[in-house]
Amino acid sequence: MQAIETIELTKKFGNLVAVDKLSFEVEKGEIFGILGPNGAGKTTTIRLLACLLSPSSGSANVGGFDIVKDSMKVREIVGIQTENPSLYERLTAYENLDFFAEAYGILDSQERRKRIRDLLDFFGLWVFKDKKVGAFSRGMKQKLSIARAIVHDPDIIFLDEPTSGLDPESAREIKDLMKSFSRKGKTIVFSTHVLGDAEKLCNRVMIISKGKRVALGALEELLTNTSKPILRITLKKLDQRVIDAIKCFKQVKEVTVADSSSVVSIVLDDVETITPEIIKSVVLNGGLILSVNVVNQSLEDVYLKIVRGGKVEN
Amino acid sequence: MLIFKKDWIEIRRNWQILLPIFAIPFMISVLLPTFIFSIPGILSMPVSSLNGIETLMRNLPKNIQAEVKEMNIQQALIYIMLQYFLAPFFLVVPIMVSDVIASDSFAGEKERKTIETLLATPISDSELFLGKVLVAFVPSVIATIVSFLLYSFVANLYSVKLLNGKLILPNLTWLLLVFCLSPTIALTSIGLTVIVSAKVKGFREAQQISAGIIMPILLMLIFSQVMGIVILGPQVVLLLTVSLSIVNFLLLSIGISSFGREEILSKLV
Repeated sequence: MQAIETIELTKKFGNLVAVDKLSFEVEKGEIFGILGPNGAGKTTTIRLLACLLSPSSGSANVGGFDIVKDSMKVREIVGIQTENPSLYERLTAYENLDFFAEAYGILDSQERRKRIRDLLDFFGLWVFKDKKVGAFSRGMKQKLSIARAIVHDPDIIFLDEPTSGLDPESAREIKDLMKSFSRKGKTIVFSTHVLGDAEKLCNRVMIISKGKRVALGALEELLTNTSKPILRITLKKLDQRVIDAIKCFKQVKEVTVADSSSVVSIVLDDVETITPEIIKSVVLNGGLILSVNVVNQSLEDVYLKIVRGGKVEN
Repeated sequence: MLIFKKDWIEIRRNWQILLPIFAIPFMISVLLPTFIFSIPGILSMPVSSLNGIETLMRNLPKNIQAEVKEMNIQQALIYIMLQYFLAPFFLVVPIMVSDVIASDSFAGEKERKTIETLLATPISDSELFLGKVLVAFVPSVIATIVSFLLYSFVANLYSVKLLNGKLILPNLTWLLLVFCLSPTIALTSIGLTVIVSAKVKGFREAQQISAGIIMPILLMLIFSQVMGIVILGPQVVLLLTVSLSIVNFLLLSIGISSFGREEILSKLV
């Protein structure tokens, strides 16, 4: 069952197209990551889905409600943690959560109190409940802003860079929380720059660049499709004849030599078939081989390749 | 009421807002009349030195001349100052108090970047708008009433001493001024602040621009009164109240349309 479905969702600010014909679906209970460089349109996409902005064209359904026609219904069933903590600094932690719980329709004060106590306990903030948020550290504010996003127990949660500014322990708590929410059937859409987070958490990711979708799928799938193995040869001494000989093979896609070293990295289509031929050619051209390794491209390499490639996948 | 409750707590903890809320009424209601009656030594002036003011008195409307007919020139001057000349200054209280609160409440949320999560809640635009208007309006009305009580006390202290035990306040003009014109002018100030807040990013900017628009109008009223062109009697106060109510209707209509979620958030992107 789909929690979110967008069809050619577009947002323009004057001449700037922030989100460009974005179509994707998110399944119920899924952790869906939106990846992309700064200014790619991640935050605008989240703002559109949370009904903070209305689309210039295209449409989107969130929890079965249209983001334009049923925006109030959408607001009721989603929780959003924004890029900035956006907390009232003159209010205490408890007052902040109490205000938002009531704003999201929890009118029973006993119910609000229980919910707030559970959340503040979970984030280790109950002892600071009566402290004004202005005195909180960045990490504490970030935790409180996530607590605020889920204070009304929403079905769909949007998190914009949720682990940004957190120490490793707090970041881990947030990630564990996201996993537990997913197990309870909650849908989580989050944007991040931290590829490791996406790798550990997401069922699927969407990579966007300049507002357009450039990749969508399970991260493993994207890695397999996009990543090519690298043959890494360490030579005793670097010789241009050897490099030229390697480049002669048509199966060789790219040859790079690390600065101030004699390590040659060769991107290949088919590592098993061609590796013995390349080794033979290196030896015949006078290369003295110290070691040979086959490595896979890192997640960062693949991500940068996709983003810099900028090829829009439909 | 939820927005009102939240903003009210924030205001109570913000000395940058509390200071003008307390200082302005005190300055207008207590310091200004005390200053006027002490610095020039009006109370100690011999009656003969005030004879030149007779010309000014002759330019006053007939009804005021009738009110001071039985008084000597010194008593008449004090009576007119307390009763009429200080009245337009008194309007500074609702204008400034509502301007300070409204600009913090509207533009301040934008500046502190709390507006985004507020607008993400299922609270309707009209609830949000009304809550924010109320939180600026209610304290300005309270401050006006408190100022009036203080001013009445100070004015009556002088009048008892100098007008042979006569209590000059409250009277109809001042009651209309406090309970009709002041709330209306507070709404004008709020309406202007809301419109300006939608266009600017900071609350100080919003405060300065909206006060910069309304204060010259008030200064015109003060000078008109001093020059004897307009005297704030019951009819003038009612006329100003009705006129400003029409202006308020237009200002608040524009304010509501500029308070749309999309409009506000587009400015933040």
